[in-house]
Amino acid sequence: MVGIGFRKDFAAELLQSNTLSPSFIEVAPENWIGVGGYWKKLFYKALEKYPLYTHGLSLSIGSPDELDYDFLKKVKLFLTETNAEIYSEHLSYAKCDNAHLYDLLPIPFTQDAAMHVAKRIEMIQNVLDRKIAIEIVSYYSPVAPEITEIDFINLILKQTDCDLLLDVNNVYVNSFNHQYDAKQFINALPLERVSYIHMAGHLQLSDTLIIDTHGEAIIDPVFDLFEHTIKKLGRDIPVLLERDFNIPELEELQLEIDRLQTIKQDALKKENYAAA
Amino acid sequence: MPLLESTYRNQSALASYCRTGNYRPIKGINKKNITQYRRLVFSIVDDMLTSAFPLAYGLVSNREWASLTKDFFSNHPCSSPQVWHMPKEFYHYLSTIRHPLLAKYPFLLELLWFEWLEIDLYMMADKIVPYNSIGDISTDALVLNPESHFQHFNYPVHLKNAKKITKADHSNYYLTIHRLPETGSVSFTNLSPALLRMLEILANQPCTVTALSQQVCSELGITYTDDILKTTTGFIQESLQSQLIIGFAPN
Ligand SMILES: [Fe+2]
Repeated sequence: MVGIGFRKDFAAELLQSNTLSPSFIEVAPENWIGVGGYWKKLFYKALEKYPLYTHGLSLSIGSPDELDYDFLKKVKLFLTETNAEIYSEHLSYAKCDNAHLYDLLPIPFTQDAAMHVAKRIEMIQNVLDRKIAIEIVSYYSPVAPEITEIDFINLILKQTDCDLLLDVNNVYVNSFNHQYDAKQFINALPLERVSYIHMAGHLQLSDTLIIDTHGEAIIDPVFDLFEHTIKKLGRDIPVLLERDFNIPELEELQLEIDRLQTIKQDALKKENYAAA
Repeated sequence: MPLLESTYRNQSALASYCRTGNYRPIKGINKKNITQYRRLVFSIVDDMLTSAFPLAYGLVSNREWASLTKDFFSNHPCSSPQVWHMPKEFYHYLSTIRHPLLAKYPFLLELLWFEWLEIDLYMMADKIVPYNSIGDISTDALVLNPESHFQHFNYPVHLKNAKKITKADHSNYYLTIHRLPETGSVSFTNLSPALLRMLEILANQPCTVTALSQQVCSELGITYTDDILKTTTGFIQESLQSQLIIGFAPN
């Protein structure tokens, strides 16, 4: 299964033609909660055609602020109304001192922050009455780190039973920006916890910095890392193509979806031979 | 293990740098790369406000726009988890602080509000009321489109190119904004106070054209005549056509 991020830019075209044929769509609840009129009609038409996965933006799991329970309840209602299969959020913070920033800021890699995040994941799962998946985000600078990124993530995963959303492009971006081996990083994750994969393009700004834009096509090294990940996983899980900006013709997006599908199938076939 | 004060301070320093551009030292950061966060955060803010307010953005200079948006994002803690609510928070912030640019452009707040209303009506959750599409205009009670809003302005921000509005335009302007049930598009109607009053009455409960005319006449101290009923019926017909009035109350 390969899905696509449902964007208003191509929503109408997606529904009118079969140029793009994703297995599911993904939206951010923040963009659709409380929306009526034209967009609601279109969104509900899409829901008749595709299963829904959701990926939150503003819950701010890593924030020092109180958890926004009112908002969380709205998310819960949205997930029920839309029959959403997955709810994922980011391992970052988007709100601090009661101000939303609408972007994903890196959490300090410290033990206390990891414990704090783990506790909040538990609280969220209790309210939502479902398991969530958390996504490792791309980041451009560490913030007062006391432990490594991988230890930080694994500490959180040890403290809670949530799933992991593995954004392969984010790992690639981070390995480039912070100079580590992406494959080793993936191998060090508890891969049995991965329930969902994200794939996207990025923008290289300089010799030392990549920005995670979701505005370009996926590059070959990220496809390679994807193949490596699937082989390591040895099982089929849903994959999402994220394209938020600079959106090309739908044919082009379909080619990327096809390529992801092929890589996944081939990798799993070879894995099965190896196992047999 | 609770979140340590030092961790909170580092998170707060980064967030505050993104909002204001004022940097407080954070251990272990990459000073060059951290500027990307300020750039990325602010470009989200600027994109959101520029696309929500194309008329206001076109009216003021680039420097003035930057000062408004930077002032807003530095000093106002955005409270909504939904980024598309930001334009409304921008409007409310500027109306509370009485920004100096409001003296130069006395109609700027109304212009911003007008632009927000269009987004608000387009996006707002569906409101459903019972009604019949077919009925007798002279005898059946009329139902107002529940997806509508009444507005009074002192400047003709809905009628005139913003660059051409002057202090001499200061007056009273009444209008309605409503969403069309089928397409979801938003439509503005310029109205006289008497017609707007009729719609206000309809907003309370469905009412016949005769009762509407009679009530408004009595409120204004005018004698009710057949001519007034004819004019009102004409207005109701137009409003049915434009779907500002969506139909007739079911019996
Ligand atoms: Fe992602």
